[in-house]
Amino acid sequence: MSELLLLTPELLVLLGALVALFADRITGHPRAAAHIGAPLAVIAALIAALIGTHGGVFAGMLALDSLAVFARVAIALLLAFWLRWVSGRGAGAERSAEAVALAMLSAVGGMLMASARDLIVLFISLELSTMPAYVLMGYRRTDARGLEGALKYFLLSMLTSLIMLYGLSFAYGISGSTAYADLGVVDAGTLGQLAIAFVLVGLFAKLSAAPFHYWTPDAYAGAPAGSVAYVSTVPKIAGVVALVQLVAAFAGNGGTITVVLLAGSLLSMLVGNLAAYPQTDIRRLMAYSGVAHSGYILLAAAAGSAGGTAAVFYAVAYAVPSMAIMLLGSEEGTALDDLAGLAARRPAVAWASVVWLLSLIGIPPMVGFFGKLTMFTAALDNGLLWIVAVAVTMSVVSAGYYFKILRSVFFGERLDAGRATRSTAAVIAYAALTVVTLALGVLASPVLEFFGLRF
Amino acid sequence: MDLPLLTVIVFLPLLGAAVVALLGNAQAAAGRAVAATVAVVDLALVAWLAMRFDVDGGMQFVEKLTWVPQVGITYHLAIDGMSLSMVALSALLTVLAIVASWKTEKNPALWFSMLLLLEVGMNGVFVAMDFVLFYVFWELVLVPMYFLIATWGGPRRQYAAVKFFLYTLFGSVFMLVGIIALYLQTGTLDILEMAGAGLDPTFQWWVFAAFFLGFAVKVPVFPLHTWLPDAHVEAPTAASVLLAGVLLKMGSYGFLRISLPILPDAAAEWSTFIAALAAISIVYGAAVAFAQTDMKKLVAYSSVSHMGFVMLGIASMTPEGLNGAVAVMFSHGVVTGMLFFLVGMVYDRTHTRMIAEVSGLSAKVPVAGGLLAFASFASLGLPGLSGFVGEFLSLLGAWASDIPVGWVVTSAVGVLLAAAYMLWLVQRVVLGSPSEAVAGITDLSVREVAVLLPLVALTLVVGLYWDSLLRFTDPAVRSVLVMMGGA
Repeated sequence: MSELLLLTPELLVLLGALVALFADRITGHPRAAAHIGAPLAVIAALIAALIGTHGGVFAGMLALDSLAVFARVAIALLLAFWLRWVSGRGAGAERSAEAVALAMLSAVGGMLMASARDLIVLFISLELSTMPAYVLMGYRRTDARGLEGALKYFLLSMLTSLIMLYGLSFAYGISGSTAYADLGVVDAGTLGQLAIAFVLVGLFAKLSAAPFHYWTPDAYAGAPAGSVAYVSTVPKIAGVVALVQLVAAFAGNGGTITVVLLAGSLLSMLVGNLAAYPQTDIRRLMAYSGVAHSGYILLAAAAGSAGGTAAVFYAVAYAVPSMAIMLLGSEEGTALDDLAGLAARRPAVAWASVVWLLSLIGIPPMVGFFGKLTMFTAALDNGLLWIVAVAVTMSVVSAGYYFKILRSVFFGERLDAGRATRSTAAVIAYAALTVVTLALGVLASPVLEFFGLRF
Repeated sequence: MDLPLLTVIVFLPLLGAAVVALLGNAQAAAGRAVAATVAVVDLALVAWLAMRFDVDGGMQFVEKLTWVPQVGITYHLAIDGMSLSMVALSALLTVLAIVASWKTEKNPALWFSMLLLLEVGMNGVFVAMDFVLFYVFWELVLVPMYFLIATWGGPRRQYAAVKFFLYTLFGSVFMLVGIIALYLQTGTLDILEMAGAGLDPTFQWWVFAAFFLGFAVKVPVFPLHTWLPDAHVEAPTAASVLLAGVLLKMGSYGFLRISLPILPDAAAEWSTFIAALAAISIVYGAAVAFAQTDMKKLVAYSSVSHMGFVMLGIASMTPEGLNGAVAVMFSHGVVTGMLFFLVGMVYDRTHTRMIAEVSGLSAKVPVAGGLLAFASFASLGLPGLSGFVGEFLSLLGAWASDIPVGWVVTSAVGVLLAAAYMLWLVQRVVLGSPSEAVAGITDLSVREVAVLLPLVALTLVVGLYWDSLLRFTDPAVRSVLVMMGGA
């Protein structure tokens, strides 16, 4: 029983998901689900923070190390921000209750994935975090384009999941165990290398890292931006923690795994940044920007244990402002020109978007800078100078396309009043995301201290 | 507890910027009054600090707190004579920029808060003694300058603003790599602790290259200067003044504060290369300035030329040369500030910056014409005015150093060219009979003269009494040289 208490945060979010399905009917309020879910998620985050780290749970199937705790809290908080935003607006024209339930289920999967210490748990939680995302992406049932994107996402994701499962079966065959602790023997021989490569294929696809990224732009561009805001950010954090812990479990000793990670990193940075540049739809732009950021994350993941921490920190540093920008896109319209004149219509939000975009570029004192600093430090410490040089050059390219958004916001001309339905809840969500973007940078020290993160 | 004077000097404008922004355009008059007050108080604090400053005391007013101990980042501010001269320039030019742009009508709340935000970054860069803190201020400067150019600039402002941002960012990300490399090698991020660390020369060479990219783009050194003419031509007057007056100095300050003391072996290896680029910048900037038909572009290219003297002085690595470099930095800030203000004031009246369309200023508007002539003389390095001091010392230092004589001679030719293009400008614009554009204009207002007078006074004081500036810079540059020798 006491071990089950350690899962209180997950259980709370799960409870929220179940309640969400019926909340509208019972209360008669159209967005009751999100109104109930947001505070539940905050409480879940607080409890996760209070529980802190814990060794093996359920016979070592789960373990709450500092990375897992950090990811649990981050996922629950981001879920709360997203739900808060939904509570003001709903998931587009449709009912929001199912979207809320799906997002919360996905968050449960993500939180479990972050603490998984066993391949079976990893796979189940991975699927739990991904399955709801398919539905969220195709949430507009009447929109053929959205359904096409969602189907593409579903097919590719299932395919890569199965490849990953295949790889996991090899790993089990070699090590005779599904526990992470026994995976150290896998990286030997052809079969072992195939196992690692297959597992990474699955994780790359979840992180939309090149060359398994090509579902992202189409899926995002067809989906409601509000869904993209969730799907493109929160599951990624969990995926990065799982990646980092698997890399450590496979004893990333510079063997196959490092080569694959670096190749994926290089490809993602180049493809993501260069392809993002010509985009005119924010969803496509942010899809490619997500590919690019996954490239940075893989670079960090290839750089030893300090790099692993940096990778997780960077995943959060990416998720917070990206979610904010997609939410804004959902409100204002997703073409770059839809944001035109935002500075005149909503100056506070416009200035918040400056903070988000500068953070994504990596300008101090925002969290994105701090993420890049720790990441590059870990990578350089591991002698990855050339790929760091590519990474910093590409971050200049990224400034080019983020500035296209900024330019539209501040200097674009737009005559009508925009189609935003403004809500206090959305403003709260933006404010929270902005504060986190700034505070995680300026006050990084107490946060790192609290979670016991070391680089 | 002592008043943390440097913190106040750096962050008071941030508070001011927030107040101005919150007052908004509805209370724009109150906002600009707040902006002016904050900037003046900040300048007064710098003056007060200068009075309490011990010229032989090395680093002073030190504030050091831990910030992110997990990765060794500290909040470390300190000031020496070199920093003081730059902070003084920054605080003074901010006040003048605010006064000069008093009548800004387009979104004044944003304008004045951006000017103050810019001051935070400018002041901060020169007193930050931790690498990450330095980088924070270094990048902070980009954001307000982007908005100043992109909102209030000329027709191609968007292009110029983004180009400015991306060029500088390109340089600074490599600087960041250099910072991380130094951290991994020495285990500290403290700029002062790292000085004279005696690093491996090959390692130094690569780190120097990384910092060179960051600093040389900012200075700018030929051939990395191409953002500068665009930025200057499109920027509004006050932004041009601060860009040329202070932002360019951040690059050369970086060489003096970081590259030389921390990477002395590499600096020695690079010195000929830097001197060559400096000489090319001097002559190239001057030659291109000659060809300009736009007054503002002429002043912009003259900046490339003048900053070449800064780099020449730095490359010499002699006391004279380094003093000369800092003196040019200071004097260029004052004189070019004056020139940009005057070009802006003339443009406000004539609505043209074309040299061909403006003539006879002295006949029609004697005050503006006279001051423009004065600023031009100062810019070309007339002895007795501030421009002469630094260029003379830089050349003197370069002669005394190992820099190949050819580059020094080439640089000296640049002085002649400067005299030629500035005098030609005076001849065409100030002298002669009033042109059509000049016919109906009025002379400078009291406010405009008040903006220029402090700069005129500084030009004269520094030019006639060198020690007023050099007493601050000399101990600082000598300690840089000691650190270099100590490696």
